[in-house]
Amino acid sequence: MEQKKDEKVTYPKYAPGTHVSTSDIYQKNITYSWWEPEVQYAWSLGPAYSRFLEGLKEGKILGIHCHKCKRVIVPPRSFCEYCYGPTDGWIELPDTGIIETYSVSYLDPDANRIEEPILIGVIDIDGADEHHGFMHYFGEMSKDEIKIGMKVKAVWKPEDEREGSITDIKYFKPLRGGE
Amino acid sequence: MTFTEKQTDPTAPTHWRGNMQADYLYPNGVAGDKFFKHLKNNDNFLATVCPDCEKIFFPPRLYCEDCFVEIPGENWIEVPATGTVRLFTTATINAHGKKMETSKTIGLIDIDKTDGAMLGIIKSSEMDKDLLGLKVKAILRPREQREGTIKDILYFEEI
Amino acid sequence: MKKDVAVIGGGMTIFRRRLKETGKELSFLAAKMAMEDAGIQKDDIDMIVMGTAPDAFDGIHMKGENLLDGAAGAGKPYVRVFNGGGTGVFAPIAGWWHVASGVADVCLVVAEEKMGSCYPHPQTAFQHIWDPVLDRPLHPNLVWLFAMEMNRYMTVHGIKKEDIARVAVKNKRNAVGHPCAQLADPNITVDDVLNSEMMAWPVQRLDISPPSDGAAALLFCSEDVVRQYTDDPVWVGGVGWNIDSTMWTNRDLYFPRYVAHAAKMAYKMAGIVNPRKEIDFAEPYDPFDYKELHHMEGLLLCDKGEAPILTREGVTQRDGDMPICPSGGLLGVGNPIAATMGQKVCELYWQLAGKAGKRQIPTNPRVGVGQAWGDIMQMATVMVLKR
Repeated sequence: MEQKKDEKVTYPKYAPGTHVSTSDIYQKNITYSWWEPEVQYAWSLGPAYSRFLEGLKEGKILGIHCHKCKRVIVPPRSFCEYCYGPTDGWIELPDTGIIETYSVSYLDPDANRIEEPILIGVIDIDGADEHHGFMHYFGEMSKDEIKIGMKVKAVWKPEDEREGSITDIKYFKPLRGGE
Repeated sequence: MTFTEKQTDPTAPTHWRGNMQADYLYPNGVAGDKFFKHLKNNDNFLATVCPDCEKIFFPPRLYCEDCFVEIPGENWIEVPATGTVRLFTTATINAHGKKMETSKTIGLIDIDKTDGAMLGIIKSSEMDKDLLGLKVKAILRPREQREGTIKDILYFEEI
Repeated sequence: MKKDVAVIGGGMTIFRRRLKETGKELSFLAAKMAMEDAGIQKDDIDMIVMGTAPDAFDGIHMKGENLLDGAAGAGKPYVRVFNGGGTGVFAPIAGWWHVASGVADVCLVVAEEKMGSCYPHPQTAFQHIWDPVLDRPLHPNLVWLFAMEMNRYMTVHGIKKEDIARVAVKNKRNAVGHPCAQLADPNITVDDVLNSEMMAWPVQRLDISPPSDGAAALLFCSEDVVRQYTDDPVWVGGVGWNIDSTMWTNRDLYFPRYVAHAAKMAYKMAGIVNPRKEIDFAEPYDPFDYKELHHMEGLLLCDKGEAPILTREGVTQRDGDMPICPSGGLLGVGNPIAATMGQKVCELYWQLAGKAGKRQIPTNPRVGVGQAWGDIMQMATVMVLKR
């Protein structure tokens, strides 16, 4: 089978497949089968996430130390994925940091459109290594005010409402002068 | 070291619960669509014949997996909605491990005049006997209730 | 003894939001086209690789097994490979090693995705890739992740949104010459992109490639048998892959260092010392317009932060000095995750074999690089093809 260059033929030479529009579905122009899986999970936390969530319940952000890499890591884990040794020592970190990056989202989790945007981003937590932190919401600031590098502080749920969850922090607010 | 740290507090959190919610709409496919549309208005089945090896596919397919050729439109044939039980089992416990009120017999049925087979519920006047080799026919929903899915075949009944 | 590996055929289906065909049927249509292209039969194929991404899109658990008969896998040595969005280039890498190792003379690679099955939107399945303990309680949307990475990239380098929008314009226009394209648009402008619906700032609707159904296929063969099929083979020059830590909030997202690691691996194998001079064109992964720029930098085709400038200057146009995504990419042709092998590797083959017709790069390219990317900002897969 010789392949000759042919300027006239564009590969792929043909385009197989049958497009189905949304109205084809609603008007039942094609037959289809429908399934709603029902599966529940209980994910093991392991000792590192367990202690981290307990810390949140106590109103603390806990980091962990990798002695070999001299790295302070948050969120904490049992092992350091770079040197592949065990992490070795808990550190209570301040509940402040800077905005590493953020987005102003007009999408809810199911991709529905929302009027009032969600401010979301990654907080580089103070006391941990550079670029080390976790994702959370931002509040008490406008979408025009938010920027990368802004100093922020956690706003916690009242103690009796905390349940050992990342949502025990309500959001991060701007850390203004004097606080 | 955290690796070897013991969790001794029984009230410490150990698990996080959740689900994997998503629903699915599966188009029945080019061959499947033709099969189920036929079944909506007819009481027999469609099958496809490979133009090369002449194997008769049931359920019908767009292509022969062995010869790897497309099966043309003229190679679609009608076959009776009858067959022979090749394998069967009787379930008395449901998917959640609970005892069912009435047991359910499921079989693999070789469809007549084809090289294919399908799963189906089997009903017979004497369910206690050996059902292997039993001749059965498909009992379909009333035509006006058929919706173009496998549920249009209610069960297979002893002939 | 490592064998040299040639590409001898490619095929793909149309890419659309939803296709009537089952995944098996799509696999068959793409595989059959590749086999016709190479002029071979199922009996001539020794082994098969299936590339298909998360089961949660098709909604069939262990879908590699489901798809095998449509991929000519019945009764053959067959394996599925999968690393999320990286699969589109990882599947051909696996095809390459089947042949390079000497265990197969001819290996068929099929890549398939049916995202239209997942309801109400494939986004629903994407929720399950987030960490269940730390991320999912915040009810994230996957677009957030890209928005945050794009913002970091823009802020670190001071990049303007309009310079990123030029990528979407270029790729949707390039796709006009592609028979399978989902979102080709000969008239789109930068203003159209900048005025499109805001989804999660800085990401707007036209910055994103669409979810799609589709399949693609490639045939690889050994140097020992290639002359039976062609006198003018296209060869695999090198392959590379790399994955970074899953803890994405512990990395600066402005530069994809894992792409650079994968690229260096592939370039070393291909004997490429100066990628900017030695590589004639590239198909970096472009699910979002900024990702093309991010990946050009990761592939070491320019300095960090330089890709938007090259784009603005027209260097990356099909008739520029370094054509990028001449296929139309994911932004123009569509994004059925694994099946984007059709743009990222099939396109390299068609360009190098002089078969790209309306999409043909005019400067007679001899070396091209394709790349895919996936998981949570962490996976890179790279393949170099050459003539």
